[in-house]
Amino acid sequence: MRGSVKRTIGWLAWGAVSAVAAVALGVVALDRGEAINSMWLVLAGACTFALGYRFYGKFIAARVMALDDARATPAVRLRNGHDFEPTNKWILFGHHFAAIAGPGPLVGPVLAAQFGYLPGTLWIIAGCVLGGAVQDFTILVASMRRDGKSLGEMARQEIGRLGGFTALVTVLLIMIILLATVALVVVNALKGSPWGTFTIAATMPIALFMGLYMRYVRPGKVLECSLIGFVLVVAAIFGGQAVAQSATLAPVFTLTATGLATAVVIYGFFASALPVWLLLAPRDYLSTFVKLGVVFMLAVGILVVRPSLQLPAFTRFTDGTGPIFGGKVFPFCFITIACGAISGFHALISSGTTPKMIARESHAWPVGYGSMLLEGFVALMAMIAASVMQPGVYFAVNAPAGVVGATPAAAVATISSWGFPVTAADMESLARAVGEKTLFFRTGGAPSLALGMAHIFAGAGGRAVLGFWYHFAIMFESLFILTLIDAGTRVGRFMLQDTLGHVAKPLGRTSWMPGVIATSGAIVAAWGYFLYQGVRDPLGGINSLWPLFGISNQLLAAVALCVATTILIRMHGARYLWITGIPLAWLVVVTFTAAWEKIFSPLARVGFLAQASQLAARLGAGGLTVAQAAEARRVIFNDRLDAVVCGAFLVMVATILIDSVRVWAGVLRRRG
Amino acid sequence: MKALKKIGGMLMALLRELADESAYRRHLAAPGRMHSGAEWRRFSDERLRRRYERAKCC
Repeated sequence: MRGSVKRTIGWLAWGAVSAVAAVALGVVALDRGEAINSMWLVLAGACTFALGYRFYGKFIAARVMALDDARATPAVRLRNGHDFEPTNKWILFGHHFAAIAGPGPLVGPVLAAQFGYLPGTLWIIAGCVLGGAVQDFTILVASMRRDGKSLGEMARQEIGRLGGFTALVTVLLIMIILLATVALVVVNALKGSPWGTFTIAATMPIALFMGLYMRYVRPGKVLECSLIGFVLVVAAIFGGQAVAQSATLAPVFTLTATGLATAVVIYGFFASALPVWLLLAPRDYLSTFVKLGVVFMLAVGILVVRPSLQLPAFTRFTDGTGPIFGGKVFPFCFITIACGAISGFHALISSGTTPKMIARESHAWPVGYGSMLLEGFVALMAMIAASVMQPGVYFAVNAPAGVVGATPAAAVATISSWGFPVTAADMESLARAVGEKTLFFRTGGAPSLALGMAHIFAGAGGRAVLGFWYHFAIMFESLFILTLIDAGTRVGRFMLQDTLGHVAKPLGRTSWMPGVIATSGAIVAAWGYFLYQGVRDPLGGINSLWPLFGISNQLLAAVALCVATTILIRMHGARYLWITGIPLAWLVVVTFTAAWEKIFSPLARVGFLAQASQLAARLGAGGLTVAQAAEARRVIFNDRLDAVVCGAFLVMVATILIDSVRVWAGVLRRRG
Repeated sequence: MKALKKIGGMLMALLRELADESAYRRHLAAPGRMHSGAEWRRFSDERLRRRYERAKCC
């Protein structure tokens, strides 16, 4: 009797959650005219995620993956106190979430907001529940059942050697594009900003101090040292304000985009060759704690301030004429959101440390499926942060000079003519409030995200603290992007050394300095080239690099879903093929369409080859100065290179897909 | 109050796990190992080497 009452109460509670989700989604999707409150997005996301977790996630856990606590996990069987260690599920949940949360879910939604808040919001909610969380969860369980094997190893084992090798090369290429893209985000956030540049520059000696402190002064006291590091970083933010106001120091820390790109490239080279304990690890500890703290603060800030959304549900740019990046809402919204809905990189984490720490099979459900839903929530918060700004301000910050006009007067005239009124005086006042000279043409998403976050954080403290919160947000974003650059360059070097070691043995040795220097240099040169290309792009760079990154990341997700589908077919035949098959089919359609358009679209704002042809025609017609002609030749070459890279991604993933289909057909035939 | 304490405890445990302090404690639990600067450096070098062989998430 008591059991049936409890069950009835449970069903009533879930019925209420469903009703709230339906109402909130209805308001978000159908309300037009008046600005809606951000709480409707929070409610729609929270309730749908709760339902997805409780019903869809549980269905996959119980029926499809058949999680069984009686089966010993590798953490229990192979326990060694290091990698393999049974860990409390909520601690592991936090650990896994900290590992998957990067700049992608923060920057992607901010850029996708150019279509309005609705397309991105709906994709984040649906993509997470049906795609991203499914991918993370199934790969986590698959890896856990194979003693923590990596995605590449599973691809080789389940699909074949060709699939495994292609997955390895795909990851290396994706990493190069990823590093260039996130480096461009940092460069665009810091250019012409002595306050921001000083703060980030100060994090280097702070990290070095932390490294030495943890190694020699107080060995093992990582939390204590991270707290000291955090206090020093906050002091550096205040120091940055003083630097920005100093007539002597401000010019020293006011760098151009090219100067900053050079600094980031040099940093990347040295940081990836230095011992990890000295710079990378201390900053990584610090950035992890700051990241978790800021995500928590942003959630609390949104709940307390409950700001209204200023961006409309849809903007006119769904037709593909957007100033931030060219292309229609389908497919470009779906590749721009990237990690906020589904991310191939998560599959690398789900087949890395986490499967070796799961104490019981059932824990994979909250850790794998639940963490991705929380990441989706972070993406929703980023969407809210972008949407609480006046649309005119949002476009003035994010649109490149090459699209809206090179002067503030031209930019505000263009943006206002789109129906998003903004004045040069508004922009100047806002720039002054955050301690910047200008906020025009700050492409890349980070500055507008920082403005949105500062707006929310300062909701309680007024405009006086806007400058501090803006630079705190810039510091937070730059801190973990630099950690990503440092770690990514190092991993790229290992992968390259591993491959080159088959050709010349010394190159494969990670202790052989000439090999380390040569391979570090090669990786840095590869992503540095794309970074320079982005910095010098008259359309802001993000226009070409972010879609490339989005396409590559989603293609990696397609590889992971191929592996997961193969495993499901081996387990159940075609019965549950739809669980990973539907998101895989969607990703293939979206990414292949986006990649095809990026290569072959006849519109110069979208297609790489069309832009190259347009410039070639202008070059052929004559009338350009020598400098303009040289610039045009460089852009033509880069456009063609981008088209080749995009095509290479397509060929590699098509190879894995065809190989997978061959394997699936074989397995299904054998099962009869 | 009890629930708050539990949440606080869980939060501290998460921070210690993220800071590798829990892993170090497990490392020291093996027979014959005592905390020292050299022991921490040995543990940390091995742990960080393995960690940064893998890509960080975007």
